[in-house]
Amino acid sequence: MEPLIRMSNISKAFDSNVALDDVSLELASGSVHALVGENGAGKSTLMKILAGVVQPDGGSIHRNGKAVHMRTPKEALEYGVSTVFQELSLLPNLSIAENMYLGKEPVTKLGRVDCATMESLTANAIAELGLDLDPTTLVSELSIAERQFVEIAHGITADADVVILDEPTAALNAADVETLNRHIRSLRDRGKAIVYISHRMEEIFEICDTVSVLKDGRNVDSCPLSEVTQQSLIAMMVGRDINDLFPNKSVGTGESVLTIKDFQVSPEAEPLELSVHKGEIVGLAGLEGQGQRELLRSLVGQHQPHAGSVTINSTSLPIPVPQTGGIRLLQSMGVGFVPEDRKDEGLFLELPIGFNTSIGLHSSKSELSWAQGHHKTVAETMSSMAVKAPSADSLVSSLSGGNQQKVLLGRYLASEVEILLIEEPTRGVDVGAKAEIYQLLRDFTDSGGAIIVLSRETIELIGLCDRLCVVHDNTIVSEMPAAEATEHKILDAALGTQTSAA
Amino acid sequence: MIVTFRRLLTGQDSRQGLWFLPLTIGCLGFLWLLIGVDGFRNPQNLLNLITQAIPLLLVGLGQMLVILVGGLDLSVGSVVSLTTAILALDAPGYVLLPTVFLVAGLIGLINGLAITRLNVHPIIATLSMQIILRGITLILLPTAGGVIPEIVKQSVSGRLSVLWLAAAVFVGWKLIHGSRFGLHLFAIGGGVAADRQDTASKYGVADRRNVVLAYVLCSTFAAVAGVFLAGRIVSGDPNVGLLLEIDSITAVAIGGTQLTGGVGSLHGTIIGVVMMTLLANGMNLGNVSAFVQTIIKGSILLVIVALQSRKKIGL
Amino acid sequence: MTAAVKIPSSSKAARETLLSRAAKVPPAYFVFVILLVTLWLTRPQMININVMGTFIRQVAPLGILVLGQLLVMRVRSIDLSGAGVVLIINYVISSGILGDANAGLLVIVALAIGVSLGLVNGLLIGKRRASAVLVTLAVNTILVGVVQFLASGKPPGNVPDAFGDVYNVKYLSLPSPVIFWIVLTGVMAVFLSRFVFGRHVSSVGENPVAAHFSGVPVERTVIIAHTIAGLMAGIAGLVQTSSLGVGSIRFGADLPLEAVAATILGGVVFGRGDGGVWGPFFGVLSFALLFVVMTSFGVPDAGKLIARGLIIMLAATYYGLRTNS
Repeated sequence: MEPLIRMSNISKAFDSNVALDDVSLELASGSVHALVGENGAGKSTLMKILAGVVQPDGGSIHRNGKAVHMRTPKEALEYGVSTVFQELSLLPNLSIAENMYLGKEPVTKLGRVDCATMESLTANAIAELGLDLDPTTLVSELSIAERQFVEIAHGITADADVVILDEPTAALNAADVETLNRHIRSLRDRGKAIVYISHRMEEIFEICDTVSVLKDGRNVDSCPLSEVTQQSLIAMMVGRDINDLFPNKSVGTGESVLTIKDFQVSPEAEPLELSVHKGEIVGLAGLEGQGQRELLRSLVGQHQPHAGSVTINSTSLPIPVPQTGGIRLLQSMGVGFVPEDRKDEGLFLELPIGFNTSIGLHSSKSELSWAQGHHKTVAETMSSMAVKAPSADSLVSSLSGGNQQKVLLGRYLASEVEILLIEEPTRGVDVGAKAEIYQLLRDFTDSGGAIIVLSRETIELIGLCDRLCVVHDNTIVSEMPAAEATEHKILDAALGTQTSAA
Repeated sequence: MIVTFRRLLTGQDSRQGLWFLPLTIGCLGFLWLLIGVDGFRNPQNLLNLITQAIPLLLVGLGQMLVILVGGLDLSVGSVVSLTTAILALDAPGYVLLPTVFLVAGLIGLINGLAITRLNVHPIIATLSMQIILRGITLILLPTAGGVIPEIVKQSVSGRLSVLWLAAAVFVGWKLIHGSRFGLHLFAIGGGVAADRQDTASKYGVADRRNVVLAYVLCSTFAAVAGVFLAGRIVSGDPNVGLLLEIDSITAVAIGGTQLTGGVGSLHGTIIGVVMMTLLANGMNLGNVSAFVQTIIKGSILLVIVALQSRKKIGL
Repeated sequence: MTAAVKIPSSSKAARETLLSRAAKVPPAYFVFVILLVTLWLTRPQMININVMGTFIRQVAPLGILVLGQLLVMRVRSIDLSGAGVVLIINYVISSGILGDANAGLLVIVALAIGVSLGLVNGLLIGKRRASAVLVTLAVNTILVGVVQFLASGKPPGNVPDAFGDVYNVKYLSLPSPVIFWIVLTGVMAVFLSRFVFGRHVSSVGENPVAAHFSGVPVERTVIIAHTIAGLMAGIAGLVQTSSLGVGSIRFGADLPLEAVAATILGGVVFGRGDGGVWGPFFGVLSFALLFVVMTSFGVPDAGKLIARGLIIMLAATYYGLRTNS
């Protein structure tokens, strides 16, 4: 029988990075289809293509056997595909009802927005999800979990045949999840096809009947869920060779340079402890959105933690670190923070490489001091990082992703910090440049530096780091030497299947 | 109940902004003027109050539409002056009136298209429009004077001005709170304020078209204000709209409309306009010099702007 | 592996940078050359250092104001309070409000007024994060009101002779205000290109978030930029007052708009400083020439206003379209 939706041979690359390579997926009516894979396996990209947000480079989509093209989210909706995305996209200044019906508001004969109809329809929809909310409440007043529910309600009331739920439970507690599951079952019983993306194994086994596994943008397998176990599923998701991409591990560890104690990322989180030593690279592993990013950003004042104490080189840090001056304060203590989003938070794209590198040296100086060219430092950094560009005057926007990332790292290495906090050291970087970046980071620690690194790519963490901390539910649930770590072990801990993260 | 009250007092978690506090202050001011200032109670003065408020209300309503989407129109005052200048051209009313609105619509269209399609910053686009229009106005009418069509004069005489007021309030309500268009303006502005410019369009809201329409309506409102003013002063005046940009922004901001977009209300703007008018009227009766009035108006704007904190630094 | 990261062939890259460099030439240079040629073809007798010097001397206050405007626009802000600052300084000098103060003291007071008003703007915009347009518009309104109130609507009085004496000096047939303006522009150019502050300004303008993550003090940079803009407005007020020779309460209302226009024409837009300091310098010169050309063709004031508005709109469109693509 022809499936409701058939995606065949879908390919997609962002710049030089292949996100999806010849991926196929079939969705049947009346089934809940789990889509699993590690961070960056291509799940979200595949679903964005089905939802019309991203256009594929190759491949085709058929609906009931007929080829369809979804160029915009609106077109996808017209073909009966509705999506609840991971990132929240509700408008805070509109009410629940207005958000639910924005762009398709019912209108009275006089041209007014028919609030009564809109609100009663919304009230029904959210009551079905077991929520007791006034539809006229503004979204800005809702908790994160409530907003998530409104997003879900928005997605599933769209009268679609296919409902994509991308990590719908990230912000929900157990009772909420049960409510959601009930609703998903009723959708299934009404003959809809549901795609369910989640990192929580128990949920997948609870609610789904079919599973497709993606790895590195390729299909691994697709089968009824009854044919697999949690362990065999995890085994399918992982399993790559650690090749010679990575430099040697550190031999020994020196004195502790950064110590975190009794640290609570959020009020509900379990306190955590972490210390980093000279010459060491510590990795924060874990699935997306588990709090590793917040932990790192708390240290430079870009997130407000609940409580804790932090000591850097035996100087203690005020908690919370001030938001506006945090980066500068840490800089003065010899700590550099390399943000993940190099285009928005890191680089000055329309300024030359030289400027981007030397700004780290200039930023800590007084305004009235002479701005040295730092030509020598820039040239040294460029050559030691093997930045491939015509000259230091080339604009950063003209470089490839890998070279941009090197310029960004170069800024912090050139500004002579002792500790680096790095988010995603190789995002959007090709393999060759990756190896070079890993070697540079190792050189940095070999000469006495220390690094905390956060990455979505487990394999990168295992290869690069000396020690790994697995973060789950805003706290560190497991710590292991990288030499003993395996993807399997990390995923186990990160999923919360082994350790209970009460 | 307590929540509702707190919301009224702080204007937080409300799409209507902080309008309750200015209302209270306005009422107290009104009472004080009633009791303490002699000339104020005079029925003629109260009628004057209405006619004084109408031009600012009209311009303010238009200004509010563009502020709701996170924009700003610095050309409204020039549109008002230009309108009176056109009306003072020696031609019959049935020619001049359509011309006025055609011109205003075109001005708004150019502003809107420059901002949405040519990516020009709203301040620059409307500022240069302001300068261009001032030039055109001076060509049409170098100094105050000219004859206004009879129909315009008659339509604003005496009690008829109350009708203008009612019409302005009704149209404003319809646009802002009584239509999909109004809701979409809030949605677009909400996205802009949250630094997620394209959110509304994700929901299928035609954001660019609505923003252009907001600028067209803004100029049109200013033109209506120009017609009203021309009728009241019975001549054209190239400088009549001089401070209306700032006055309208101040009035809108007093009424709780957030200059970042997405928050505001019609009644807030009405309150803001009434407060500005009461202030001017009261100070005139109290023989406060026009210069001090300017100082006070500027200070009010400064305080309000300083109170509206934002995430972004700069423009 | 190296093949994957190879950059485009060098000739292509060179062509691209050449093109992007050409697109970065501020419109002011083209406008300036076109106007100069027009003038040379139609009124050759005007191309004469004495005639031009007189015209250019008149725009020196604007040119100095532009030095501040370009600074705040490069950090994505704007200053529309210049007219009020110039007006109040004119009042202080011409009204005799400070008694028999000598010229030196008056200069110091004028500069102090400029700096403190700039600082107030900067604190409200940088620290309070209030909208720059509205803050500076409001400050301008207040200052105009204060001057009119103090002067009761009448011109205040005469400017001490010392100001006029300095103003009318010429070196090598260049009027002293023009020399002063050029020197000040040079100082600003060096300040922005050779001092750390210039780097901070570039980074905040290009990407405030990245500037923050690089450790640049974003708020402080904005506050300093506004303070310097206030200082420039103060100096502009001194030069303007010297040129008028008397107190006046009605002049310069359009100065901030002209400053914004000349800055944009000179290739500096919100956040971008492609035109450097000399681009806006030529933007101001273009306005001076435009005035000369239009006057010599008998264009009335109204026509000049229209031309000025059109130039801002076209220059802004030019940049808007460029950043769009």
